[in-house]
Amino acid sequence: MNAKQEHSVSRIREEIEMYQPVLEMLEQFPGESGHLQVPILKSLLAQHRRTIECVENDEPFLASQYTNPVEILSAMDIHWYFHLQQMFAGSGTGGGIHIAEDLEAIDDLTLPSDCCTFLRLGLYYQIAGLLPIPTAYLALTEPCDGTSGWHAAFMHHSDWRKVPVFAPDPPYHNDERAVEYYAGEMKRMVDFISEHTGKSLDMERLKQVVEETNKGYALWMEYNEVRRSSPTPHSYIMPMSCFFQINTAGAGDPDKTAWYEDMLADAERRVRDNVPEVPNQKLRFFWYDIQPFYFAEIASWLEQEWGGVIAMDMVSYCPYQLVDTSSEDSIFRGLARRAFQDGPMIHQARGTADNVIDDITRIVRDYNIDVVIFPGHVGHKDMAASASLARQVCRDLGVPFIHLGIDQADRRYMTVEEIKDKLSRFLGAMGLG
Amino acid sequence: MQSGIESKAFDRFSETCSAVFTDSAAQWKGQGGKVLGYFCSAMPEEIATAAGMLPVRLRATGSDGTELSDSFLSSLNCTFPRHAFNMALKGEYDFVDAMVMFNSCDHIRRVYDHWVRQIKTPYVKIFSLPKKAEAAQIDWFRGELDQLCADLREHFGVELDDAGLAKAIKQHNLTRRLLRRLYDLRKAERPPISGAECLAVTVSSTAMAAADYNEVLEQLLEDLEGSDGLPRPRARLLVMGGELDDPRYLKEIEDQGCLVIADSLCFGSRLFWKDVDENDPDPLQALARYYVADRPSCARMFTEYDKRAAYVREMIRDFDVDGAIFERLTFCEIYGFEQYSMANDFKEWQVPLLCMDREYILGAIGQLRTRVQAFLETMEN
Ligand code: SF4
Ligand code: SF4
Repeated sequence: MNAKQEHSVSRIREEIEMYQPVLEMLEQFPGESGHLQVPILKSLLAQHRRTIECVENDEPFLASQYTNPVEILSAMDIHWYFHLQQMFAGSGTGGGIHIAEDLEAIDDLTLPSDCCTFLRLGLYYQIAGLLPIPTAYLALTEPCDGTSGWHAAFMHHSDWRKVPVFAPDPPYHNDERAVEYYAGEMKRMVDFISEHTGKSLDMERLKQVVEETNKGYALWMEYNEVRRSSPTPHSYIMPMSCFFQINTAGAGDPDKTAWYEDMLADAERRVRDNVPEVPNQKLRFFWYDIQPFYFAEIASWLEQEWGGVIAMDMVSYCPYQLVDTSSEDSIFRGLARRAFQDGPMIHQARGTADNVIDDITRIVRDYNIDVVIFPGHVGHKDMAASASLARQVCRDLGVPFIHLGIDQADRRYMTVEEIKDKLSRFLGAMGLG
Repeated sequence: MQSGIESKAFDRFSETCSAVFTDSAAQWKGQGGKVLGYFCSAMPEEIATAAGMLPVRLRATGSDGTELSDSFLSSLNCTFPRHAFNMALKGEYDFVDAMVMFNSCDHIRRVYDHWVRQIKTPYVKIFSLPKKAEAAQIDWFRGELDQLCADLREHFGVELDDAGLAKAIKQHNLTRRLLRRLYDLRKAERPPISGAECLAVTVSSTAMAAADYNEVLEQLLEDLEGSDGLPRPRARLLVMGGELDDPRYLKEIEDQGCLVIADSLCFGSRLFWKDVDENDPDPLQALARYYVADRPSCARMFTEYDKRAAYVREMIRDFDVDGAIFERLTFCEIYGFEQYSMANDFKEWQVPLLCMDREYILGAIGQLRTRVQAFLETMEN
């Protein structure tokens, strides 16, 4: 590896160094949840190591968005990494060792500060040379203006300009014509990958992979059903891992299906034996946006201070549809649906606000929600414009609604203390204490 | 708007762009005509013209508050949709019979969600506008336009066929050619029209029936072609960005001694720099191709940045531009990221660039003047 390449994987190496000892410790002392946490860490580390290996050996690999069907990439046997997720690298999902300096660095970009902080961080990592340059790049033009604007700016960087790009274009509607159109985009994506990496798609292999991820999704949905129980079985950490497990490299891996089985069994046991992770549950929250970097601080405070659990969240609530694997056509159509209708943020932000209204209505009822928390990430301009509809639907349902107005990545915008204070005052005023 | 141009034709444009419900629209309605309203320049006006409707691009001209729309949109939303929706709630767009929207941006697409719930327009629909400009996207958009035509036939009982579309394409192409002639005049060392005045002319093209507009514009061209040019400015500027429909903004800039000579704006040159193909036997396909792929694209078109940059660069060369201003409405991410890439390119091209955030309603004039002054001084140094 030359110095530039070495620098591009430095954050990934840091993350490996950070998590390897945690993994070893968990393997030695698994405690109550170790059997569920170990596979997640293994998955993460394996993915990171493979990225480094690709750079080292000059093997083809992709940068991609989480919504581009991972099944296709697995079936084509091409490694990928989610370049926007790199902001987590070396900092941990809690926002750790580098996040403060990174946030300060983005203030110097010639990019308006009202643009989404995640995306500004992404551009900074690119400029700072902290992203391994892939063989080809799969972008996405949704769910928000920021995402497509960011990808367009990203492609323009002098080092990345030579990287071939394909961005599927999700339609705004959900009807069959839209599914057909997006399935076509998926097929064009396959052609693009073949052209630039020399890999080909074996339909039999794709069918196997999809059948395996179908099992994972089915179990995840069952798990979400179990979360309806009161008390709800798990705290916020396990549910947050579901998306990661299904959406990282290695789709089609039976180990991942086994993880879901284990997770479901653990949840069922906790309900049956009445041993929830969070004891003394009094309030059930619906967190309707992605979780901020500092989510752990807020969620555990809600648990301890208010006996509150996140009974459902936006990332978990993606009512995935299983893919019909009976023909090539049905597989592509199914993957298209999964990609442009079901994924987190895509499901809520792409398309009309009916999605927001329907989600809140169904979740408040099905999960017996006491309070809807609408974090209102400053990057989410469409959500800002939907907040009044969300408030109205909550009013109609008779459930308290609080709009926080935070920055999911930058705690300087609204500090954790301010968030806690706002929540305390609201919950107190609602007589929920 | 105050202007040095002595021309009845220009006065007509000046009046037209200073209101939303213009005299033209009032007359049209008075004769029983229907109006099709829209926000985004991706709306093929040709379809409305062929359907015998008046296409009017809705601006929030004259709005002085967001007191009603604040209950629906947030302070994190762009002030254009906030003012526009406020006007809708006040009934100022009640003259619109059909409202056609697109998923143009995160803010406007949510205006649709509120519009369908709050405003009683006889026909309101959102259509899906791609963000790429390849063959599949052109076909997709053709399907959307086909649906729009079917809806207009059904809702308004209008005749809308290929012959009518072909005729409308010719009419609107004539508008485009005339506007390009107007821009040609601006290449002169002493152009006969300022940037602010020119914006009044182009904005009016989105508020008048094409045939009527073309007649007035021909008259204006005659008036200008023989007239003396403006004094040589301190600098010749290009202005680029998205939604800018208020000539007074450009006037404030020009009052500092420069001249806006060219633009890449959504109410400016991007409306007419290319023609729709008149020879395509399928006019709807020609329209889909034009609005998705052929016209100079807006920043929301993902794959087209290089073409946009080339377009701006050509303008700089052809209009002998000294420097540029990138204007952006606060909270617009589409133009936020575009600004980032453009700023990098301008550095590479060694062309001075000033990036200005603004609100939809003209304000913070002192700051605008100071920044433009400082920019001109840096350029002179
Ligand atoms: S966090 Fe929201 S605004 Fe930021 S990229 Fe994701 S969808 Fe877009
Ligand atoms: S300026 Fe930007 S945010 Fe505002 S309406 Fe236009 S595209 Fe949308």
